[in-house]
This record gives sequence, C-alpha cells and structure tokens, in this order.
Amino acid sequence: MDFSLSQEQTMFRETVYRYGRDEIAPLCEEADFKGEFSFEIWRKLASFGILGLPFPEEFGGSAANILTCCLAGEALGHAGVDGGSLLAWGAHTYLCAHNIYVFGTEDQKWKYVPKLASGEWIGCMGLTEPGAGSDAASLLTTAVKKSDRYVLNGSKTFITNAPVADVMIVFANVNKAKKHEGITAFIIEKGTPGLTTGKPFHKMGCKCSSTSEVFLEDCEVPEENILGGEGKGWFIALSGVEWDRCTLLSPMLGAALNNLDSCARYANERHQFGRPIRNFQAIQHRIADMKVFVEAVRLAIYRVASAKDNGQMLNPLQAAVSKVYAGDRGFEMASEAVQIFGGYGFMHEYPVERNFRDSKLAAIGGGTSDIMRMIVSRIMMM
Amino acid sequence: MDYQLSPLEVKMQQEVAAFCQTEIAPRAKMLDRSSRPEACTYMKENLKMLHRGGCLEPGHVGDIIDLIAVYLAGEEIAKACPATFLSARASAFLCAGALRLFGTPEQKQWYIPPIMEAKQVGAFAYSEEQAGSDMAAINTVARKDSKTWLLNGAKNVVVNAPIADVFLVLAYSEKNAGAERGMSIFICDKGAKGLKIGKPVETMGLRGVPVAGISMDNCAAAGILGGTPGKGYEQVTRILTMGKVGIAALCVGIGNACTEISVKHAKERTAFGKPIGLYQDVGFRLADMFTINDLGRMLALRAAWAINTGEYEADVLAACAKLFASEAATKIANWGMQIFAGHGYVAGSDIERFYRDAKFGEICEGASEIQRSMIARSELDRFLQA
Repeated sequence: MDFSLSQEQTMFRETVYRYGRDEIAPLCEEADFKGEFSFEIWRKLASFGILGLPFPEEFGGSAANILTCCLAGEALGHAGVDGGSLLAWGAHTYLCAHNIYVFGTEDQKWKYVPKLASGEWIGCMGLTEPGAGSDAASLLTTAVKKSDRYVLNGSKTFITNAPVADVMIVFANVNKAKKHEGITAFIIEKGTPGLTTGKPFHKMGCKCSSTSEVFLEDCEVPEENILGGEGKGWFIALSGVEWDRCTLLSPMLGAALNNLDSCARYANERHQFGRPIRNFQAIQHRIADMKVFVEAVRLAIYRVASAKDNGQMLNPLQAAVSKVYAGDRGFEMASEAVQIFGGYGFMHEYPVERNFRDSKLAAIGGGTSDIMRMIVSRIMMM
Repeated sequence: MDYQLSPLEVKMQQEVAAFCQTEIAPRAKMLDRSSRPEACTYMKENLKMLHRGGCLEPGHVGDIIDLIAVYLAGEEIAKACPATFLSARASAFLCAGALRLFGTPEQKQWYIPPIMEAKQVGAFAYSEEQAGSDMAAINTVARKDSKTWLLNGAKNVVVNAPIADVFLVLAYSEKNAGAERGMSIFICDKGAKGLKIGKPVETMGLRGVPVAGISMDNCAAAGILGGTPGKGYEQVTRILTMGKVGIAALCVGIGNACTEISVKHAKERTAFGKPIGLYQDVGFRLADMFTINDLGRMLALRAAWAINTGEYEADVLAACAKLFASEAATKIANWGMQIFAGHGYVAGSDIERFYRDAKFGEICEGASEIQRSMIARSELDRFLQA
C-alpha cells in the first residue's frame, strides 16, 4: 500500500486548481445559465493543455498517466469549474481521442489525435440509442458493406458533444446475427453526407456540455475509418471502463470538494440567533458527512486509477464501487450542501445549486447505479 | 502510489484468516452464550490460541507499530470472532502497544513479552462513569506518597478487567495543571494493594469479552508509563487515535462475516423457484453491503497509512474510518438479518450475534456523534477568520 502523491503530482494539482479558479470558474455561472457549450471555456481548457493530457508529446499531449488525469479533473471541479464543461472534456479526451489513440491505425492516430489534443477539433462517442441504454449490446444501428465503404443507418441519443463535434466514434452492427460480436466502431467526420445531429437537449445539469441525438441515414463511411477492426466495437466500448470509472468521476469528487469548502466557509460567516451556524450540530454533522464522503470517494476513484497505472487488471468490483458510491452518495451530499445554504442554496448564483444538479449525472451516465449493483450482485452470486 | 495490498501483506492476512477460521471461529458462539465466568476462561484460552497461531504479532515489532499490518490481522480475527478481537486488542494493542510506544526500556522489557505471548493479559482503563469522550472530566487522582504513587477513583467499564494481569490507568497526577499537562498513565499490577476488580458485567453484544469496573482505594501503582508524569493526555490521545483504526478493523471484520454468510444464504435459500439472491431486492442489497464494507476497509487502510507516515490530518482520517466503518457494520448486519429473515431472528444464529456485536462500533471510544463533531471542527476551522 502506498497512498502518497509525488511532489510533482501535488504541485500539478495545485497549479491546475489555481488556473481553474482564476481563469475558468468565473465564466461558469453565466455559461451554465445559458445552457450552451462554451467555446470560451473550451479554449481555456485547451490552452492549459488539459484536453491532451494523456497523449504522448509528439501527439501534442503531456504523457500524463491516468491518476494525473484524475488529479486534473478533481482540481478543476474543486476550483468551481462546472460539471458540464468537464463532462465535455471527458467525452472528448477519454471517450473519443483516447480510443482513437489506443485502437487507431497509425494514419488514424496522426490524423485525429493531435487536432483533438489541441482542442482544434472536438470529439464525441456515440454508443447509446433510444432503445439501447444500459443494454448497449442491443443497439440497432447497422453498417452494411458496399465495396470499400460501409453504409450506416440508425440513430443515437444522449451523445455528449454531438452538436459541436468534428469527429465522432459511432458504434454500429455489421452482422446482427453475431449480436455483440458484430458491433463495430467507425470514425465519422462532421459533414459526412447522411450524418446529422439533433437540436441540443435541455438538461437538468451539466448544461455546458452539449448533448443531442445523432442520425445516420445512408451515411457512407470509407472502410479505413473502422476503428480497431470489424467486430471489435464491443471490446472498445468496454475497454474504456477504467477511464470511465475514474477520470470521468474525478470532476464529481472535485465538485464535492468545492461544496465542502463553500459550506465550511459559509457556516463560519452566516449568523443566526446571534451565533455562526457552525455552532449548530445539525450543520456540523452535515459537514462531517461531506468530509467522510470526499475521503471515501477519492480512495475509490484513485484505486481504479492507480491499478490501471500499475498495470494491474481491472477489478470490476472496485470499478463498480467507485461509480455507485460517487453517484448515489454524491447526490445525497450535494443535496446536504444546498440545505446548509438554505434559501441561498436554492438560488442559481450559488455554486452549490449547480453542483447539486450536475451531481445527478454520476448515478446515470456510463451505466446507472442500478447497473453497478447488478454487476456487483452477479459477481457475488457466482 | 499503489492502492492494492502487497503480496507479503496479502500472505500475512491469509495466514491469520486461515488460522482464525479453523481455530477461533468455531468457538465464537460458545463464547457468546456462556456464563460470565465461563467466558473469562474461554477468552484466556482464545488469547493463547491467537498467540500460537501468530495472530497477535503482525505489526508489533520492537518500538514500532505498523498499523496497516495490525489492521489486516485484526480484520481477520474480528471476522472469526469479534469478541476475541476486542479482548486481544485491549491486551496486545492498547496495553502492550502503549507500553511499546511510551514505556521506559525496563517497563517494555518487563511487561511486553508476557502479554504478547498471552501468558499475561493487559487492560487499558481510561473512561469513567461521567467521563467518556470528555476525558478531562475523569475523577481518578494519584498522589505521591514518598516513592509510590497512590491511586484513588473508579473506572466503570474496563475491557479485560476480570482476566487482566496488568492495567494501564489514566489519572490526574496534578489536577491543577489541567488535563493536557496534569494527567499520567499509571501501570498497576493485578495484585496491587487497594485495587478492586468488580463483577463481570453483562453486555448486549461482544458477550465473550470479559468486562468489569475497577476501583482504586490508595492503590499502589507500579510506576508511571514512561517514567515522567504529565504526559498522560498526549499518550492516551495518541493510542486512541490509532485505536480508531482498530475499531474500524472490528467493524469491517463483522461486515465481512455478515456479507459472506448472507451471500451463502442468498444462494441456498430459494423462493418461487429461484435463489433469493437473484431477486434485485436481495441482490442489490448484497451489492450495497459489499460496497460500504469495501470503502470502510479503504478508509481504515488510508488512516493507518497516514498514522504510520505521520501525515497531517491523520487523526481526522482515523475518525472518518471509525465513523464510516462502524455505521457500515450496523447497516450490513441489519440488511443481513433481513436477508436471513426468520432464520436469522432465532437465538443462536450467527447473523443475530453479529447484529448485536456490530452496535458496539458506533458507541465505543467516541460515539459517532463525537467523531462527526471532531471531523466537522477540523473542516470548519480551515475557514475560521483569525
């Protein structure tokens, strides 16, 4: 066991935190209120090297390991950067660019990764369909081979970054009879005939990430755009699970730290009945529960990350624990933060309100809490 | 950074587990259901068995306590028999551990080996009728009479008191100096003149643990822990902070045992044609049991590591671990009982015993309310305007 961070990692976290607090967080309230993707925030993330973190330097990244990526997510959430902008980053860097980097051919990697790492292009990944959420293997989008091209038909929904994306990874089945073994990943560029995106959805939280449907109508994709080989899509979709269960959750840890700081500060400043509300045990005990939560969820998330960095096999139980705990307990704790702020907490201008709405996503996106419990209980019942 | 246990740590834990499951676990029910005097006899035997199985030593080397090893071994002892863990911990960790950390070379040499070899039993007496978390409120006092310190006062619940050979007793050596500088820990031998050990008390759970009150009437102490008076508060605070990791081991051990037997029952028990574990109400509950116990263990290991390395905030992390793991244990035992239903509610079932045992964690050595207050104060003070 070794729970230490290196001095370099601690400094990196601090530097990212300061940058997020000074340069990005001031933009977030207004951006969240508009409920649109913020290119200004995107450029800020890009110029600080956040979007390319895990890629080698020759691809325009900084060769950060997965734990360092988590530290960045935590630091930005802690600094008050909204969950939507951080989700947009996650979908772009981990779900799109990183999959191309890991599974792509040399040509694909050099064509897409540098532009994605720099933020010049925006990426997304389309797996979910109207009828295939947690049961992703039942997706209906088809790809039919026609000489050196594939013709894709179907639709995707809840695709983060789709309305602004230049590059998409789309999953389609080339052979329904083979079920999930027919699922294949395709790289599709914006402007490809037959590819359209719907109007951005109005969402409860994570509003600065732009989410919509994707429609494929006889959309022709050249065969060199297959990612990882025909029939390898299901493997690609599952292989990202470590990244999902730590890097995409780290902003949620960050938001909980942000809430804890703002609640602790507020409880010192706010007076009722002639004394600061920190003197009331009901306030104290909520603060304590929030502290226990951040420590526990940090361990759960970092454990997944450090296992990956140390080349250990993913433990599906540990991955599910981090997801279900961040999602369910995170939402409860975000609600307690609103409660400490009382009427002010209900107002849009207080970050606890936004963090509350954003926090719900952790129990839904990338496999709901119910699915996590299903995974754990199935393993236990084996 | 590596959040997984090393192969050596895993091996040690497996060895302790194997021994405890074969030798200790089969005696757990007997300990729970025996009379108080019988329980005292059985527990002394259990401590000797733990020594024979090499279960007391892990983490205790020379002047050093490696809390991660102490935790890992403790979790397995507790899983096999929570009562045995609590008794062994009071002897080998709280009493011998305090001697190891704070004793003079002579005290260490004289007292530690017989306790670690289970030839003698140690006890740690600090709380009183009106002084639990509010430690400054203790009434036991010591005064020096020529060369001997004489103790006067009473401690109402002392783990191991009925079977202990060595007591560490917290008392004011100079009341006017206040708690932080006026307290000392005294070493008292069982046979000391003026030391009276009360009748073993009955408890709701952990019934195998010999517990009694002690009273001191001009009781002659064998010495002051470490030789210098006035260090008692610091010493007791330090050992109890480390002790929180031990209580987490107790709770995670109980949680583990409950989860394991609940899974087994959920596989074997069928209703409407399939094992009940395949129904989501039961299966998802098993998943929750696993999740919170797993996180309790991680928090405990995190706190152990922080204490081992002298990290800033180690005391807060220890409080987080104790609070989380103890509340997890009562939830897990409660859900386990629900899964066993009628089969669990009958006296003598394992889940029924764990259910009673589990409650101790939320109460002992700083109830959950105290842990929360302490954690909150530390967080709130970060933003206190000077």
